[in-house]
Amino acid sequence: MHMADALVSPAVGGIMLAASAGAIAYSAYKCKDDLDEKKIPLMGVMGAVIFAGQMINFTIPGTGSSGHIGGGILLAALLGPFPAFLTLTAVLLIQALFFADGGLLALGANIWNLGFYACLLVYPFVFKPIVKKGLTPTRISVASVVSVILALTLGAASVVIQTLASGITELPMATFMGMMIPIHLAIGLVEGIVTGGILVFIYKMRPELLESSMDNKKLPKNLSIRKVLGFLLVFAIVIGGGLSLLASSNPDGLEWSMENVAGTAELEASGNAYDSAAGIQESTAFLPDYGFKSTDGEGSAAGTSVSGIIGAGITLILAGGTGYLIYAVKRRKEKTV
Amino acid sequence: MSTITDSMNTISSLEEMAEGNTIIHRLHPMVKLITTMLYLVLVISFNPYNITGLMVFAFYPVILMALAEIPYKPLLKRLLIALPFSFFAGISNIIFNQQLALMIGPMPISYGLLSFISIMVKTIFTVMAVMILIATTSLPKISYQLLSIKVPKIIVEQIMLTYRYISVLLEQVSNMYTAYILRAPAAKGIKMKDMGVFVGQLLLKSFDRAESIYVAMKCRGYDGNYLYAKPSPIQKGDWLFLVLASGVLCLMRFFDLSLFIGSFL
Amino acid sequence: MLKIDKLNYAYPDGHQAIRDINLTIEEGESIALVGANGAGKSSLFKLIVGVSEIKEGSIMVDELAVEKKTLKDIRRRVGMVFQNPDDQLFMTKVYDDIAFGPRNELLDEHVVEERVVNAMEQLGIIHLRDRMPHRLSGGEKRVIAIASVLAMDPRVILFDEPTSFLDPQARRNVINTLDSLKMTKIIATHDLDMALDICDRVIILHHGSVFADGSVKDILLDEALLSQCHLELPLCMQKPRIR
Repeated sequence: MHMADALVSPAVGGIMLAASAGAIAYSAYKCKDDLDEKKIPLMGVMGAVIFAGQMINFTIPGTGSSGHIGGGILLAALLGPFPAFLTLTAVLLIQALFFADGGLLALGANIWNLGFYACLLVYPFVFKPIVKKGLTPTRISVASVVSVILALTLGAASVVIQTLASGITELPMATFMGMMIPIHLAIGLVEGIVTGGILVFIYKMRPELLESSMDNKKLPKNLSIRKVLGFLLVFAIVIGGGLSLLASSNPDGLEWSMENVAGTAELEASGNAYDSAAGIQESTAFLPDYGFKSTDGEGSAAGTSVSGIIGAGITLILAGGTGYLIYAVKRRKEKTV
Repeated sequence: MSTITDSMNTISSLEEMAEGNTIIHRLHPMVKLITTMLYLVLVISFNPYNITGLMVFAFYPVILMALAEIPYKPLLKRLLIALPFSFFAGISNIIFNQQLALMIGPMPISYGLLSFISIMVKTIFTVMAVMILIATTSLPKISYQLLSIKVPKIIVEQIMLTYRYISVLLEQVSNMYTAYILRAPAAKGIKMKDMGVFVGQLLLKSFDRAESIYVAMKCRGYDGNYLYAKPSPIQKGDWLFLVLASGVLCLMRFFDLSLFIGSFL
Repeated sequence: MLKIDKLNYAYPDGHQAIRDINLTIEEGESIALVGANGAGKSSLFKLIVGVSEIKEGSIMVDELAVEKKTLKDIRRRVGMVFQNPDDQLFMTKVYDDIAFGPRNELLDEHVVEERVVNAMEQLGIIHLRDRMPHRLSGGEKRVIAIASVLAMDPRVILFDEPTSFLDPQARRNVINTLDSLKMTKIIATHDLDMALDICDRVIILHHGSVFADGSVKDILLDEALLSQCHLELPLCMQKPRIR
């Protein structure tokens, strides 16, 4: 579920980087206040555990397929929300650098989708209220399953929104959501059960490990179920409102097309590299402008484009040749030295 | 288990590359970080149907790889792993946008196909740029730089600590996995019902390990603060590279070399 | 220089780890601390460096008692090398790891460098300066762990199983390194051959108390004594059994 650099626009990537940076700064500030210095090495080791743990394939009975753990909720239950979020951020950065899992520009989006929801939203407002009355294996399991499903679904929905807002894919929103959400509900169920199993095991062996992060006191005190529901409602309204705003600009109602989404994205991107380039681009690019489906002047554009595409091929060959030349020169230098 | 061995190999091969000593390796890490980010922004800022303008950006990875003497094969392998995701994201464009963009001879090219190609090319370029960064700059060097752009210290500490213990944990997981599989030869992986115990044990051991690390830190005067040396300053040559590279990159963004070459045809 | 007086310690779960230990250790001594697993070697070390809190009895390092408010000074005087170097070396660069202690003393960066380079040169590992610990061999990591303690310029170093998990040559290398260190050393170990090589005094712990304390010759060659506390003669003293 990692977003790649190529799937975000500069505007979306930038916004998400800023949002995640804000969440990181806030968490770091929170940790500065009341983080036991003992937790610093623990967080580092847990980050490595999640990194390695995600590579353990487990078999899902009755399906023949395999899954792996995500880790956001697990980390939050072991470390507390803010340290968990920071730890996950470090893991995601390392994955982005070494494994091309996501990229540097998409890092903000990935931290948000995989870390923010699980650690800072679902854990404090869903997981904790469920286990508030005291830890029992049943409560831990229920809390894990519900939380992981919720966190994953929120993440998946965000992936859809971010991709569409970036104007990358032409998949209609409804189709895209329809593909992503059910899959992630299923993955969430499996992952939630496994997460619950892990936490129950820890609870049985060393209950103090879970409880110490539980009463990390930095929680809203009188957190009632009503407040949680209220919060989720507000969240749903914000998301829904944002979506309908996008939808209202679409004459075809639910028939989402790239035209509209891309149009909105362009508005958001105004004033940045995307747009300032437009003027120059219009004279050079074989498309007259961003209007994707414009059919005017296509015939004339086609003439230039064919040569343009041949030019692109030559450009590639030139680039490759340059590289080869540098290699050759270097090798010769080595030989003469 | 193959994924674990794979990732151990990936990390160590990238680390070995980063130990090189070429002109690119010697550049200041901050300069490389900025250049990479600029490259990424410029590449993804192209509209999805403009693939001619995009092509000139091939020069950057090719030249850098040659200068840094990075072998092609391991990077290409990484690329192959990253491509399928973009492939599926892009393939829908071919289906959903079949409007004709142009004809190459008798072959019709749709807008969907153009944007599909654009996604794939962007993926290749962006993944390569990040790979080149990490293949010429070790992770600790990059994270030191994060301190100077005001990334909270605790994040940098976490990156360093996690990175330090990844190989330790990977080896531990791999051993545990082998021990499990040897006693369950028919299993294709850990059984889901055993995952709680399997990962749980790993976590318990790791809690103990963290405790020992904490004690080791304490024994050497740790009081909640990690102290680092100041990162080395940016040299004149580094500035020169930064200005040149970003100048050229911006020029590349606004000058469509492909069309320019094409116009001579 | 190190004086342990009527020391008792029980873990929170009630297990009595240390029972009435009285010891005096002189400047420059090289001591092997031996005993079966669970005899109390690690517990004693943790008490000396102040990781576990002393509840009964006292430990003095020179004129300084080990207690909460003296910990900073105690840790500057007493270094400890862990059994698993992966626990001890937590930085991403060898240099930074060795510099961790001196930096925590808030020394000037060039003083830090001097200390680090000295420690590395003394142990012959200056070529590892910019390497990453996780890419080194077990033996190399072990020596770096020693260097990281050495850079703090301690008066006593406690070693926890310094030769475990090493191949014979790396083991020999670590032993030579230990032998070259002239400060007071207390080495907790099962490796009695090493003790024979580089120690001049042996203390046997058994069920948390001192069972025997004497010269290497008196203790390590006394087969009856050793077998009473689940130990046996150093290998080089045993009759070879060849099938």
